[in-house]
Amino acid sequence: MAFEPPASLVSQIDTLIGHYPPTQRRAAALWLCHLVQDHAGLLGPEQVEWIAEKLGVPPMDIHEVVSFYPMLSSQKLGKYHLKICRSVSCDASGCSKLFSAAKLRLGIDVGETTADGQFTLSAFECLADCGSGPSMMINDEHFSSVTPESLVKTIEGLSQNGLAEQRLPTPPPPHPAEKRLLLAGISDPGHTGSLSQYRARGGYVALGKALKMAPAEIVDEVKKSGLRGRGGAGFPTGTKWSFVDKKSGKPVYLIVNGDESEPGTFKDRVLLHHQPHMLIEGIAIAAHAVGCHTAYIYLRGEFPKAVQVLEKAIEEARAQNLVGKNILGSGFDLEIYLHRGAGAYICGEETGLIESLEGKRAYPRIKPPFPAVSGLFGCPTVVNNVETLCNIPHIIDKGGAWFASMGVQGSTGTRILCVSGRVKRPGYYEIEQGKLTLRQLIFDVCGGLYEGRTLKGVIPGGSSMPVLLPEQLDVNLDFDSIQKAGSLAGSGGIVVLDDRSSAVATTLNVAQFYAHESCGQCTPCREGTLWMEKILHRIHKGKGRPEDVPLLLDVTNQIDGKTICPLGEAAAWPVRAFVTKYKSEFEAACAPKKEEQP
Amino acid sequence: MSQVTLTIDDKRVTVPAGTNVIEAAKTIGVEVPHYCYHSRLTVAGNCRMCLVAVGMPKRGPDGAPVKDKDGNAEIGFMPKLQIGCATPVAEGMVVKTRSPDVEKARTGVMEFLLINHPLDCPICDQAGECRLQEFAVDYGRGESRFVELKVHKPKQVPLGKKIMLDNERCIMCSRCERFMREVAKHDCLGFTKRGSHTELACYPGREPDTNYDLNLVDICPVGALTSTDFRFKMRTWFLKETKSVCAGCSTGCNVTIASRDRQIHRLTPRDNDDVNQSWMCDQGRLDFHYVNDERRLVSPEVRVSTRKGVTPELQAVEWALALEAAAELLEEAKKDGSKVAMIASAGATTEELFAFGRLRAALNAEHCDCVPHTGPADGYLHTEDRNANGRGAALTGVAASPLGSKLDAIKAGIAAGNIDTVIVLGEDLSQLGLSGAELAKLRALITLDILPNATTREASVVFPIAAWSEKPGTLINKDGRVQRCDAAVPPPGEAQVAALVLANLIERIGAPSIGRTWVEIFKHMTTEFSELGVTQISQLGDTGRLLGAKRESQAAALGAAGSAAE
Repeated sequence: MAFEPPASLVSQIDTLIGHYPPTQRRAAALWLCHLVQDHAGLLGPEQVEWIAEKLGVPPMDIHEVVSFYPMLSSQKLGKYHLKICRSVSCDASGCSKLFSAAKLRLGIDVGETTADGQFTLSAFECLADCGSGPSMMINDEHFSSVTPESLVKTIEGLSQNGLAEQRLPTPPPPHPAEKRLLLAGISDPGHTGSLSQYRARGGYVALGKALKMAPAEIVDEVKKSGLRGRGGAGFPTGTKWSFVDKKSGKPVYLIVNGDESEPGTFKDRVLLHHQPHMLIEGIAIAAHAVGCHTAYIYLRGEFPKAVQVLEKAIEEARAQNLVGKNILGSGFDLEIYLHRGAGAYICGEETGLIESLEGKRAYPRIKPPFPAVSGLFGCPTVVNNVETLCNIPHIIDKGGAWFASMGVQGSTGTRILCVSGRVKRPGYYEIEQGKLTLRQLIFDVCGGLYEGRTLKGVIPGGSSMPVLLPEQLDVNLDFDSIQKAGSLAGSGGIVVLDDRSSAVATTLNVAQFYAHESCGQCTPCREGTLWMEKILHRIHKGKGRPEDVPLLLDVTNQIDGKTICPLGEAAAWPVRAFVTKYKSEFEAACAPKKEEQP
Repeated sequence: MSQVTLTIDDKRVTVPAGTNVIEAAKTIGVEVPHYCYHSRLTVAGNCRMCLVAVGMPKRGPDGAPVKDKDGNAEIGFMPKLQIGCATPVAEGMVVKTRSPDVEKARTGVMEFLLINHPLDCPICDQAGECRLQEFAVDYGRGESRFVELKVHKPKQVPLGKKIMLDNERCIMCSRCERFMREVAKHDCLGFTKRGSHTELACYPGREPDTNYDLNLVDICPVGALTSTDFRFKMRTWFLKETKSVCAGCSTGCNVTIASRDRQIHRLTPRDNDDVNQSWMCDQGRLDFHYVNDERRLVSPEVRVSTRKGVTPELQAVEWALALEAAAELLEEAKKDGSKVAMIASAGATTEELFAFGRLRAALNAEHCDCVPHTGPADGYLHTEDRNANGRGAALTGVAASPLGSKLDAIKAGIAAGNIDTVIVLGEDLSQLGLSGAELAKLRALITLDILPNATTREASVVFPIAAWSEKPGTLINKDGRVQRCDAAVPPPGEAQVAALVLANLIERIGAPSIGRTWVEIFKHMTTEFSELGVTQISQLGDTGRLLGAKRESQAAALGAAGSAAE
């Protein structure tokens, strides 16, 4: 039976296809998959073939996409799809109890659907709400700080009243140690992030200023600011912009990387939901600087609310001529479109993201060529993180020198640090870079550990970064200092572990994440990540062998530096760091077992 | 094209700019092991087996090269190993393909590729020509450190009618996916799921169904894709390989015939940049089974009466008797060439056609032509012109111009009784619409063929001859490229190479000899047709030469004999 979507859906789909160049219809694949799945409840052969025909591609292309992205399903899902986060921060805050409660209440295992077709239970990787864990989603609604009791209550409520829309949480007021630049105003009473509020706070003044500047002047100003990318690699933003090939004769694209999914990181979630206009202004200025007239915001699939927030914000901006043709009478045109991911960490890697935006499996590309030369649709492309772009209006407004005066040499401005795990006051804190040590952040700002607990270790830059031991905490929170301490500032996700966490269990959790998120393209990551997970799983089950410790380290070495993209390192580094730094714990778990008595 | 000089494993090598490190290393005999890279496909860079250390001369702040105290350029090596397939050469580049780091990386990749690979080499068709086996010899650990459960995936998945997929053996190199998209132009393969659970798949109902699918089996570096035609038939190490040329159409794809004892087991394409790159069509590849046909003609036959008054019947006889019988018929025919027609296959070798032409001259036969064979072209290698040697038939004057244009006249002549003697090489006259009764009316019908057909049944004399894979010879393709075939297997029974049979008949009817061995016939032919450009078949090398091309030295011809097959 052929799939026959209603006319309203088809017209919505046609509008979305129009957001991509006519020769690149395939790019709309993820959007179509989402919309068709929302309508039909699954992406079976009829749906897949309909989408393929609509986009003019072989059905295999769509079939691949459906099987690659965890949010898409070829099987009929329950009316309510419970997606409970299982990643490291939620694990530290007790998500395992949620799984037990859900399984018990629903009578199904993870990955199953109840016989009445009402509920599907899934374990999802990081939902980027680590500071309010454990978290979960039901369909498109997000739930923070879930307890087993609240979960059961929610499930019961679903049966009776259906799924209620969840309101965005109110951001907490700033801690005195914070310097809120990007987060300015978000905790003010009545803050909605609307255009009028944003303008009242001086928003879009920088855009007006930038449109009167030559693109090269903007790039210079950003270079002067010392701004480094906030996504993880910390590459100087102005330098990245200066690499764009403007002579190719092809259009230049700007892509906003809003695929925040490094476990322990949840800063972009706040910005996307609470500061949409700061992002849009940043995009417009960046686009002018690099000669781009079409920008895409790639939003991770687990941020459906952000789609609504940004759609509304873009329309508001368009109504006031801040987006669209001839912006503010400058002659500069810019369209901003949203692109929705479907649950794949690898889309945070910029070339994986580009492939995903093109409607394919997110297989990272070999570099060179770098996106600045050949990126989206083979055109020069800049990919910038959400937080990075939110800094741009401030830099243009007050000047690069002003920005550089904040923070320390090599780490200018502020950073939104995301603290999660076993501290009293987890959450996001916008801190002037290098002005606080990790110890001060955890013990002074975040209220320290729970009573009677001792610190086990801290992951300073998202779960891929090497863990630091309690004695390493007197490190300043800036790129270079953290690197000197043997780790990296990464994405700013700080995960605190106390003595309740076992080194083996935590390493297993992190290894499981990377094995699940390995795209499978290149050998060392594809095979190595799952092998590490299996070894760790065995050790965790008490079946460790003494040779497993050197074996694990060997496997990390065989992955590190050998892969197409940095996921290899992201998977290898944390395992190596945990095994090395908690060696005695691992050795104890791998010690020869006494013969069991007959 | 500009040239670039670099150093690979302490050897200086100069190659065209744009060459990648794997190819540059190949020119000095250094193999950089790889799985996913294939010289005729886009670069995927996913197997990571070709990681090498790459360095460039260091430059000072002034841009000038930094020298060490001995005045040598200092080399700055990249912190990470680079994949040779995606690294273009650069002036002054230094590449190390055997450093301890490189060897360690390869050992690591090998181990990763093997941990989830099934241990089914004993029953795997690829065994013996498997890249995993080959590189495991060089970089395997010797013992497994993997004690976990392997990932299990679908096995025995048909990918269309010609190919069987074993997903557990697949190493996700994506050569097949790229081949279907880039060469076969049927983008039907892809990968589903992700991580170590990734599976090669095609969409149900959209399986590979092109004329090039079986090339997937060749380029698959492991045993994931096997040919349903060859599967489980023969262990590859028992196969003898003979270089030859496909006789399925006028393209003349270069092939390797794999045989054991007297059986051909498969054909695979052989590299020739000027003809078929690394590919061949499935129709050509699978069209060899007739050679192994049990009905092959295995002894000469002559139509004789066993008793007076009994209709003569074909009887198997000694070669000498059959040749004598044929010679007698030809002596008679010689008297009036206007009554003699000769029809040859334009798929016969040039040597056979040359001998056929000489016999025609000896008989002064008025009518001579070839039967044109055509079929739908596939837009790539398989041409509409299915005559493997139409150019040879034209060169030797056996075919009319255009080929087949005299067949109607011959047919009419036979029907009207004006032609009473017909000599046929490798064709069945019933294809021309001649009935058995019309053929039976002929005074003499001498045929040389490999399988029984309507013509052999009505013949006066039947000579069993060697099929294409059972004899040496040349075929001239549509572009005029003279290419060499060789005998992979001996002909069955008493069958003989047709050129020798024809040469024998020429001598028997008193015409000037063209020799008694194949080599002598070849010499005679190349003397008469100097445009062939060679005097010995070995001068054609492995990849042939164009008609009329300037004569190269033998060494050059041999040197051009194809790059190593992927």
